[in-house]
Amino acid sequence: MRLRWKRLIILVLAIAPAALLTTHADSQNISPVTLTLDWKPEPEFGGFYAGQIIGSFARHGLAADIQPAGEGADTWQLVATGKTDFATTAADQVLIARRSGADVIAFFTVYQTFPQGIMVHKSRGFTGIRDVFAHPGVLLAEDNSWLHYLEAKFGTPVVKIAGYDGGIADFLARPDYSQQCFVTSEPILATHQGSDPQTFLIADEGFNPYTTVVICKGDLWRNDPDRVKAMAAACREGWRAYLDDPAAANAAMHALNSDMDAQTFTEAAAAQKPLIETDQTKSAGLGTMAAQRWDDLAKQLTDLGVIDSTVKGEDCFVNP
Amino acid sequence: MNGKRNIFSAAWPPLLVFLAATALAEVLVRLFQVPIFLLPPPSAVLRFIADHPADLLTSLSITAEAALIGFFASALVGILLAIALSASNLVRRAFYPYAVFFQTVPIVAIAPLLMIWCGPGLTAVAISAFVVSVFPVIANTLAGLLSTDPALEDLFRLNGASAWSRLWKLRFPSATPNIVTGLRIAAGLAVIGTVVGEFLVGLLGTAEGLGVRIISAKKMGRTDELFADVLMASLLGLAMFAAVNLAGRLLLRHWHASEREETS
Repeated sequence: MRLRWKRLIILVLAIAPAALLTTHADSQNISPVTLTLDWKPEPEFGGFYAGQIIGSFARHGLAADIQPAGEGADTWQLVATGKTDFATTAADQVLIARRSGADVIAFFTVYQTFPQGIMVHKSRGFTGIRDVFAHPGVLLAEDNSWLHYLEAKFGTPVVKIAGYDGGIADFLARPDYSQQCFVTSEPILATHQGSDPQTFLIADEGFNPYTTVVICKGDLWRNDPDRVKAMAAACREGWRAYLDDPAAANAAMHALNSDMDAQTFTEAAAAQKPLIETDQTKSAGLGTMAAQRWDDLAKQLTDLGVIDSTVKGEDCFVNP
Repeated sequence: MNGKRNIFSAAWPPLLVFLAATALAEVLVRLFQVPIFLLPPPSAVLRFIADHPADLLTSLSITAEAALIGFFASALVGILLAIALSASNLVRRAFYPYAVFFQTVPIVAIAPLLMIWCGPGLTAVAISAFVVSVFPVIANTLAGLLSTDPALEDLFRLNGASAWSRLWKLRFPSATPNIVTGLRIAAGLAVIGTVVGEFLVGLLGTAEGLGVRIISAKKMGRTDELFADVLMASLLGLAMFAAVNLAGRLLLRHWHASEREETS
């Protein structure tokens, strides 16, 4: 009996320091970070939720708290003011942020092809965005860089343009309404509701910013590049998992966003795949970006007067 | 009498506060090197106004048109409704709760209906201005109509005055100060209702009002433009408020205590 007690004590003494060491190491190595999304949980963010499920953040020493957002503060402002560590936004917003004196940089992109499109009723017989602009009716769209680009390209529109509120109710109700959409979201919803959507990609008109890019402060990259590298690697693993099998992450997101039905989650995840995984990402890696694309975008925005020529595309991103 | 001096003596204290606050903001923004996306220095806002006077005036006129339509609709409908509500206790008890309910419905919630009924643009925006500004006119007018001096009511009744002449010659005049108060509140609210309406159902492009410009400026990270737009909207609200004030003063100065010249 006494012997057993002794053994137990020895065992405890032997294990305790190791256990203490482990907890210490855990608390030191796993750092909490916040990732603020620029919309509600939808398939465009699937890889981040998949990363949480498969533990890719933890594997890289991060405990990621994913925060969805609605309309409101632009996410780059939250990053620039230190309210969040990481956030998603679009590439043109990164250039706008830098013009406004906010030092934010992108280090991962979900979409290689701009998923923004214009959704019209098929019954109108349009063949492209030019037709939308040249005919009466209403186009619901955010006043955004791509809208400026389209207005510059197609001239003063005949169509009336009004603000986009994030839904599809007006589109469904009125046959002469067109609206902006993510090709992975609204057209699928509209089809489910019995409408006849047809979608034209804005990228096909020559405006193709990286979208759902993950950004951080420039300071973080300069002072703690390992943290940014860890985040990029964790996002990449999460997206790999989501592209291979979106079911678990879709279920997790559906629990957070019941506005989108399970069927739409499944269809959207399938529809967005070719916009995320391309020949380029198969060689260079998921989420990597090309300097030329950033330079092209900077030039387009400079021509539109959205930014000035002091903002350089090469300053806006890294491939960690 | 000496109107010019009055305007001056009324204007200089707030003007001084404005100048001091602007100067202080400029100094602080420069001193602490506040990035422009957080707060633009007032000089940047002024520069924006100086560089884009035509754009701003166009947007101001578009917003002003909707705000004025909404305001006059509120004045007309609000006063008529209040008269109807004051006519009988039963009518008032039946309908007044709905007037209150109407006031509590957020404009954001009915904007999708406005969009479907009217399409985007002036009509939908003016209705938004109306919805937001009509209630204070109803409430204040009704309060005024119901607080006529009972002794005067008796006097009219004893002399066999008709319901119409009681309304027109007694109740309505005695309610005028309340009506002016309601209209003053409605003037500011009409501008707010217009700007919010433009957020939701305004037109983009050549006919864009201040509300649309505010959203756009925010999206594009142009805080200097955003502040310039907000300043224009505030000036519009102020101008409408001042116009109602002036009209009220002209209307009431000869007989009502609230607007008589101070004797000191």
